[in-house]
Amino acid sequence: MEEVKIGIYVCHCGLNIADIVDVEEVTKYATTLPAVVVSRNYKFMCSDPGQNMIKEDIKELGLNRVVVASCSPLMHEPTFRRTIQEAGVNPYLFEMANIREHCSWITEDHKAATEKAKALVSAAVRRVYYHQPLEIKEVPVNPNTLIIGGGIAGIQAALEIADSEHKVYLVERDPSIGGHMIQFDKTFPTLDCSACILTPKMTSVGMHPYIELMTYSEVEEISGFVGSFKARIRKKARYVDEDKCNGCGVCVTKCPWKANSEFDLGLSERKAIYTPFAQAVPNIPVIDTEHCAYFLKEKCRACEKFCELGAIDFEQVDQIVEVEVGNIIVTTGYDSFDPTPITQYGYGKFDNVYTGLEFERICNAVGPTSGKIVLKDGSEPKSVAILHCVGSRDENYHEYCSRVCCMYALKYSHLIKERTDAEVYQMYIDMRCFGKGYEEFYKRLSEEGVNFIRGKVAEVTDRAINEDEQGKLIVCGEDTLLCKTIRVPVDMVILATALEPRSDAAEVAKLLTITQSADGFFLERHPKLDPVATMTDGVFIAGCCQGPKDIPDAVAQASAAATRVLALISKGRVELEAATAVIDEEKCSGCRICNLLCPYSAISFIEDEKVSRINEALCKGCGTCVAACPSAAITHRQFTMEEITAEIEGVLV
Amino acid sequence: MSFEPKIVGFLCNWCSYRGADLAGTARMKCAPNVRIIRVMCSGRVEPAFIVKAFQLGADGVLVLGCHPGDCHYAEGNYKTIRRMSLLQKMLPQLGIETDRVRLDWVSASEGDRFVSIVDDMTEKVRALGPFTKNSDEEKHG
Amino acid sequence: MEVLSPYKEATDVILEAGGEPLKLCYQCGLCTGICPWNLVRSFLVRRIMHEAQLGAIDFGGEDVWTCVTCRACVQRCPRGVEIINVMRAMRRAVASLGIGVVPDALRISAKNIAGVGNPLGEEAEKRNDWAKDLKVKNFASGTEILYFPCCVPSYDPDVKTVARSTATIFNKLKIDYGLIGTEAKCCGEAIRKAGYEDTFQSLAQNNINLFTSNGVKTVVVSSPHCYHTFKNEYPELGGKFEVIHITQYLASLIEQGKLKLSKEINKKVIYSDPCYLGRHNDVYDEPREILQSIPGLELIEFPDARENGLCCGGGGGRIWMDTPKGERFSDIRVEQAVEKGADIIAVACPYCVLNYRDSVLSMGKAETIQVKDISELVAEAI
Ligand SMILES: Cc1cc2nc3c(=O)[nH]c(=O)nc-3n(C[C@H](O)[C@H](O)[C@H](O)COP(=O)(O)OP(=O)(O)OC[C@H]3O[C@@H](n4cnc5c(N)ncnc54)[C@H](O)[C@@H]3O)c2cc1C
Ligand code: SF4
Ligand code: SF4
Ligand code: SF4
Ligand code: SF4
Ligand code: FES
Repeated sequence: MEEVKIGIYVCHCGLNIADIVDVEEVTKYATTLPAVVVSRNYKFMCSDPGQNMIKEDIKELGLNRVVVASCSPLMHEPTFRRTIQEAGVNPYLFEMANIREHCSWITEDHKAATEKAKALVSAAVRRVYYHQPLEIKEVPVNPNTLIIGGGIAGIQAALEIADSEHKVYLVERDPSIGGHMIQFDKTFPTLDCSACILTPKMTSVGMHPYIELMTYSEVEEISGFVGSFKARIRKKARYVDEDKCNGCGVCVTKCPWKANSEFDLGLSERKAIYTPFAQAVPNIPVIDTEHCAYFLKEKCRACEKFCELGAIDFEQVDQIVEVEVGNIIVTTGYDSFDPTPITQYGYGKFDNVYTGLEFERICNAVGPTSGKIVLKDGSEPKSVAILHCVGSRDENYHEYCSRVCCMYALKYSHLIKERTDAEVYQMYIDMRCFGKGYEEFYKRLSEEGVNFIRGKVAEVTDRAINEDEQGKLIVCGEDTLLCKTIRVPVDMVILATALEPRSDAAEVAKLLTITQSADGFFLERHPKLDPVATMTDGVFIAGCCQGPKDIPDAVAQASAAATRVLALISKGRVELEAATAVIDEEKCSGCRICNLLCPYSAISFIEDEKVSRINEALCKGCGTCVAACPSAAITHRQFTMEEITAEIEGVLV
Repeated sequence: MSFEPKIVGFLCNWCSYRGADLAGTARMKCAPNVRIIRVMCSGRVEPAFIVKAFQLGADGVLVLGCHPGDCHYAEGNYKTIRRMSLLQKMLPQLGIETDRVRLDWVSASEGDRFVSIVDDMTEKVRALGPFTKNSDEEKHG
Repeated sequence: MEVLSPYKEATDVILEAGGEPLKLCYQCGLCTGICPWNLVRSFLVRRIMHEAQLGAIDFGGEDVWTCVTCRACVQRCPRGVEIINVMRAMRRAVASLGIGVVPDALRISAKNIAGVGNPLGEEAEKRNDWAKDLKVKNFASGTEILYFPCCVPSYDPDVKTVARSTATIFNKLKIDYGLIGTEAKCCGEAIRKAGYEDTFQSLAQNNINLFTSNGVKTVVVSSPHCYHTFKNEYPELGGKFEVIHITQYLASLIEQGKLKLSKEINKKVIYSDPCYLGRHNDVYDEPREILQSIPGLELIEFPDARENGLCCGGGGGRIWMDTPKGERFSDIRVEQAVEKGADIIAVACPYCVLNYRDSVLSMGKAETIQVKDISELVAEAI
């Protein structure tokens, strides 16, 4: 082996490091370490002059290992690896000592910080000594993309990618795409008609030559890695032949059996064979086997008789489709919080207490009341209270703010004012109108004469204490600005319910090996600088599955995720993890312990030779198998026993 | 001057190392006694590393990974749990007080948790005093 | 215009005295809306939290003493503020640091407790007199169960029946139980909430030493207040024994088939959840199970039951303070019970027994409705 020549560069990071750590002392100390040829310090190592300093030393002094003592490797390891690579040194012959995040920023004790910095430098030097050059392998990126969830976010991402003539598989669980947005009547703050802006996009998705739309379908299994994933998708039986059906809907008209409409949240009925709403994409009905007379009692078949195209197919079975894609975008959205557990608000107990989403349907021109804002008995409400933060900003339910409720509450106030003569009360804690045009919308509603009462409602009751309250719902709480407890008798109560993670978010996370943050939404790679990527390369998130947000934000994220995917497609290849594990087949006893441990099934047993072997393309380099091998037959590149021992020795100087 | 223990920390790259970074980025103050070695996953931590650390002069060893269920490699940390509980049982035989070794979880967003674990561990090890066990005895252990 | 000058010293007093969680309050006002006081008078819990945050508390005012520690607000506070701890901290500031006025009635009870170990000011030696003719043995090491009746049933002539019924049931079932010597003192739960921390500490130490030196392993209590402090507060001070509320104990005996209730009580019974059994300790089902296993008895519920149950007004030391007519929660409760057509209000707490019996008498409803502790009903039905 050629002689090891190590160069050390201690960064001041302006004053971030140098203020606490004595960089001169560390630099001097480094010269005493084995194989160190040069040791320098500089104001900003990551700047061009800093990097050039390293490059020049490599040229002049023949360095073949480099240590930079500065910030976290998660910040600048890629930068310096590139630097030495440009100077002709294998990028893996590099090590970083984190003397900022783990040292100068966590203590004010100069002496302790300097000692710790020395130890970290000594560890890095000892470890880099044993580093071996690693080969960077690349694999091609499959240009197809899988998008899971066909709400506005999924639709947006699908169209952006497909418009660049790359194939998209869009998988939607419901019979139609559209998500929550298609349930709305108007959208804040502009009050555009939701269907008017969304249906054209839905139609484009349905007709796009580069989008293969799979509705009434779910992804069951994902394998592989960035660039080449395989997905197994279950297309549930619709009992209607998609190729034959032309969407005439005669089957729906003729079907004599009914069930509650999911789309209208149980506020209306649909048939046993149905499309969730008139503008559904695709416009192909499904048979709900739990309510169809044929599936329940083996009689009827009315739909079949009337369908002239013979599209009804009672023999249809679920289909399993396998697709290969290079990237995945998850856009599974949110669930609306169920307020039943907050018994004091009387949801489910009183007739005229509604959730936000239910009220969207009531407002909707094609909803159960044809857009008339009416009570259960059909009469118009004379007063309506909207309760904010139901399930949000509340440790007993969700600690976070759902971000859109204040705004949709204002939207409702407007719609109620526009369509009825009712008094409207907004019972809020804080008005959060942060977006573009939102504060202006709030102002407009104030002008429209809405009553704003500051205080979280304690109870909604029907126990009247005077004449005026008879037959009303009485909203009780404190008006915190008046410093008085109040009782407001109203006819209708709307609960501005929270947005929460999908009930199956944990399973979806597992399927994709992505993580959830403490609130249950999917975790982005970095909250500020990498909001649509996840810790799993090639898997992106957009829309409300990442956290509550409004439509503009969901769309922006979707476009961002699409761009990230397109960037990978256009580059055409991805680097594989180089620090993988390898089995020394001489030492392997064939015990197979490692085979089961590997989370990526990268290890297989070679029957003929009675040894285990690692598929380098699949290995992600976690090291679990290495630690478990009883014969010490597995080596983890860059994390060998030798390297770690040297590092331990180093930190303990 | 009071005794300043040396603690070796093995932190996984995906959660705990980021949590430790966050503590720094947020300028939280904590005991400077834990010296961090980054591994890709807590599942990489072999009992041998820990024993080695004590042989080489550590007074304590802290292993941090992602919360169970959150391991970047799906289930590496479950392996760690099993391995560490076996090791915990063997520690007395090796003449190492069980309080000198700790396995815990810190997510990428838990800078504060990282700080409290480090401070707590440092205090405990400080109370135990320096680890003194010559390698001779270890062989008999 | 009023100048806001945060009275930092006062805030520090609250913080020091254990009011730390109040920082989290975001002034939503939910607590005020929930607090039962607002059924009868104004009590702006939220504003007190804000005053405490800014150190602008009126230590001389009566708000400091109003809270009955029923926990209705804490249970639902969206920020998890331990409102009761804040109230307790303010009282501590007054009681121990002398920066306000302690109500007379409370001061007398506190003096009694500190002096003779019970709020009624009775002689310590008479603590077990209620059991004189019942042949109850003294607890000795090896006795299975210590029965600890609470000061009220031990001394109050009107509530003694609670303790006596319990002893009668235990005797009939031949349960191995005993009473601890007369050195026992008040459990201290309520006086602690009233702000007398030092008194509580010395009572707790006394009882812990007494129980420990006698080898007590299991304590059965009649009062949810004893239950609460023995179970949740004594362990921190070194007192570790199994604590069982009488309703839990009787329900388990019924389930095991050891206690059979055969005599009919053909009455409509409405059960009122004591705050310290329900909201503070999540025991809701056992009392109902017992009542339902009494033959002939019809169990009905208040409009606000279980988690939403209305307090009797006796918690947090309020049992010793005067509540003017028109502001008594127990009056509201009795009215509701009568309206529901109940013959008996069943309770499982000596304070509730006191308050409801008072209300029934002062409202002139003695002919219509009775107040009974569950142990009394069981003794009748056995
Ligand atoms: C009452 C209410 C009113 C609102 N009003 C407005 C407004 O006026 N203006 C505004 O800007 N924002 C509004 N919002 C917010 C708006 O709803 C969201 O920003 C938007 O719907 C987010 O879109 P999305 O695509 O992320 O999620 P979603 O709309 O929830 O779509 C997700 C889609 O994924 C599908 N899916 C879920 N899981 C799976 C799976 N495992 N496999 C396959 N498919 C799956 C679902 O069926 C759904 O079609 C409102 C929200 C609420 C609750
Ligand atoms: S067979 Fe089923 S879906 Fe078809 S018309 Fe009858 S009930 Fe409706
Ligand atoms: S290092 Fe991890 S990913 Fe690679 S083969 Fe071993 S267990 Fe599998
Ligand atoms: S309920 Fe909690 S957060 Fe709201 S005002 Fe009361 S103490 Fe503050
Ligand atoms: S504990 Fe009960 S009495 Fe005290 S403030 Fe809360 S709700 Fe009111
Ligand atoms: S990656 Fe953190 S424990 Fe496995």
